[in-house]
Amino acid sequence: MHLFLEQLLNGVAQGAIYALVTLGLTLVYGILRVLHVAHAAVYTVGAYLGLLVFNTTGSLALAFAGAMAGCALLGVLIERLVYFPLLKYPPYVPLIGSIAVMLSIEELLRLVAGPYILTFPAKLPFPALHVGGFQISPTLTAVYVITALVLLVLWFITGRTEVGLAMRAASQDMPVADAMGIDSHFVVSLTFVLGSAIAAVAGVLVGIYYNQVYPTMGSVPAYKTLAIIVVGGMGSVSGAVIASLLLGIAETLLIGYANIPLPRDALAFIAMIAVLMWRREGLMGSGR
Amino acid sequence: MSAYVITIATLIVIYAIVVCGLNVIVGYAGQISLGHAAFFGIGAYTAALLATKGHFSFWGALPLVILISGLVGLLLGLPSLRVRDDFLAITTIGINFIVEAVFLYVPFFGGALGIGGIPRVMLAGIKLKGAAFLLLCLFFLAVVLAVCWWFTRSWAGLACFALREEEQAAASMGISPVRFKLTAFVLGTGMAGLGGALYAHYMRFISATDFSFPVSITLLAMLVIGGMGNLWAPLLGAVILGVLPELFRPIVDYRMLFYTGLLLLMIRFQPGGLLGEGSFLRRRLRLKPGRAAA
Amino acid sequence: MSAPLLEITGLSKTFGGLKAVDNVDMALYSGEILGLLGPNGAGKTVCFNLICGVYRPSAGRIRFDGRRIDGLAPHEVAARGIGRTFQIVKPFAALSVLENVLVARGIRRYGRFSRMWGSWRGRGEKEAAMALLERVGLAELAGRKAGLLPLGNLRRLEIARALAVGSRLVLLDESFSGLRHEEIARLEALVRRIREDGVTILLIEHNMRVTMGLCDRIVVLDHGRRIAEGTPSEIQHDPAVIEAYLGTKGKRHAA
Repeated sequence: MHLFLEQLLNGVAQGAIYALVTLGLTLVYGILRVLHVAHAAVYTVGAYLGLLVFNTTGSLALAFAGAMAGCALLGVLIERLVYFPLLKYPPYVPLIGSIAVMLSIEELLRLVAGPYILTFPAKLPFPALHVGGFQISPTLTAVYVITALVLLVLWFITGRTEVGLAMRAASQDMPVADAMGIDSHFVVSLTFVLGSAIAAVAGVLVGIYYNQVYPTMGSVPAYKTLAIIVVGGMGSVSGAVIASLLLGIAETLLIGYANIPLPRDALAFIAMIAVLMWRREGLMGSGR
Repeated sequence: MSAYVITIATLIVIYAIVVCGLNVIVGYAGQISLGHAAFFGIGAYTAALLATKGHFSFWGALPLVILISGLVGLLLGLPSLRVRDDFLAITTIGINFIVEAVFLYVPFFGGALGIGGIPRVMLAGIKLKGAAFLLLCLFFLAVVLAVCWWFTRSWAGLACFALREEEQAAASMGISPVRFKLTAFVLGTGMAGLGGALYAHYMRFISATDFSFPVSITLLAMLVIGGMGNLWAPLLGAVILGVLPELFRPIVDYRMLFYTGLLLLMIRFQPGGLLGEGSFLRRRLRLKPGRAAA
Repeated sequence: MSAPLLEITGLSKTFGGLKAVDNVDMALYSGEILGLLGPNGAGKTVCFNLICGVYRPSAGRIRFDGRRIDGLAPHEVAARGIGRTFQIVKPFAALSVLENVLVARGIRRYGRFSRMWGSWRGRGEKEAAMALLERVGLAELAGRKAGLLPLGNLRRLEIARALAVGSRLVLLDESFSGLRHEEIARLEALVRRIREDGVTILLIEHNMRVTMGLCDRIVVLDHGRRIAEGTPSEIQHDPAVIEAYLGTKGKRHAA
């Protein structure tokens, strides 16, 4: 029972991290209908930037802030320089562009920072929680709290502010939003800023959580998150979060606890194909 | 020719065959596939298993390999048919990951060790290697190109072009989307299977990573750089992406970056590829605007 | 009168409780031009899509030449010999004008696996396709890429393709919308010529003047129901039509 609980808690943390990476992808897909594979490279850059700032300043707060700012800039650059000019072509063109960006960034990181695994020796300033004689480690607590915080802020921005209203309007119908006086290109860029900053948080968190930062840490999430947004319902934020949590838990429990000899990284795609056959609009999709 | 040149040339020709199959699916029928390496792998594994465990000769196994690759293509193509565009892209990525996982985790397929000891191809009692095997590959490339050429001139091919351009209009002209998409899928995966069989008998040792997702990206990059939908694009793309890394061998560290950077620049500034309409190559060579269909 | 070429009885289609088409009867006789008229959202397009197989009817029957075609997929309806155009034109943009018509000429090839491997590049096929282009007045543009044509020519191209598919019955989906006056007049002449060649035509139209001028008979839909049927002059003076078409339109403008 103890092991089960431990694995469950790990699964939730894994799911929370998936959610943080997937959020940006979902937001971008919702507004541009582009599969932003390069988002995972932004996440990797976030981890490296965080590590760099942390190693030079020793401040974890600055590390998060620096990574978020750098990634936001990178996200907007990708949007302006690659996606925007390619939107007039069939959807596979920006998708291939995105994959090329992703691989190029991975290569650049490998050349600049080296092909090795760097450690991220930071301690997150969170207390260990004791629940009924059971201890939740400070790192896990940090993952939970930070994810919840990010979700809360995102919910506030999209649900409670005018900018969020503009974002939702633009994702419904961009020409109409334009006609209503919304600067939709600005809104698109803002979406990238938001999504990329969240990816930076995820990158730094993962770096600390596993104490590892390496150039290809985004490869598996890059494609797994695509499966997650299908399972959650393309473009649905709540669906993406729920699907991420379920996947994190399922992966950890099935493979870590039940020891089913299943390839961990294929699970997301098996779930995705099941969803495509059985409920095509996804868990929370509107069936658009 | 040195052995080094022959090795590079053989692999280029094999990749060109596989990319021809991808061209049928993506270029002709407009069905985006990001998992073509899976079918390349299915062909290679089928050939390897038939040769090592079934003791088939290359020639005896070949029709079976193509048939099985095509059938698996049909089977995996079915769920793909229910989805379009973005979903299709993700589904085919998924197929690639799942197929690779099966190769890697099912003991029957040799697991992480892969399959070794695949015999060389025999022809008239002679073991084909080096230049002779290259000639064999060139022969198959010629066959595949002829099939592609014929496909573009056939009603089936025309139906696929129509589906690629405008599915609803095509259906209103009696073209069954399911039938023709599957036709393209089976034809394309069959060609990938042929390429896989050649690859297995050339390398004589295969493992799951030879057919992982990045390989699919490389195959697609070859097609994009050549010019999707053009008959010669697979060959041109395979030659460019096969030769350039060799030329850049002195700066081996920057090879991958060069590769991905080229793909990025190409898709950003010339999404139609080198042989696409209005490309700088066409303007430079003053080629007539190509027939869009063929 | 002889048996109708296209006969629709009790046709209904509901979308989540909303009746888009409600128990519509309609008959189309060989050699005539029948107009399907109605204000926006009256169910014309749904009705059209039911005939073409895009939607499956909730109830009712559709017979073409005595055989049931309701419930068939679009490509099966086409294979029976019913050609259609699209209100929002759908050319095969990267193919030439000639190739666009050739695709439609393949209608008798696509159904049989054994027949689809022949070449479409033969001279006979090209001549037949050119003849169709000549009929709609696009022969000089045969080599042009379809995606580059202006709207008026694309509408003609759609008609050429529809004629290749449906040598007996062609359904025209608002072929006149978005055109300039002189283009409308020329297209009207084309539709009349096609009818004189013995092709039966079902016309969905928004434009009252065009419908009144072209059609032998008109069926008027409103809120999914058939509210009137008759010759153009009968329809023009039908109080139910005036109420539905002009009355509600007036109200909508006020709202």
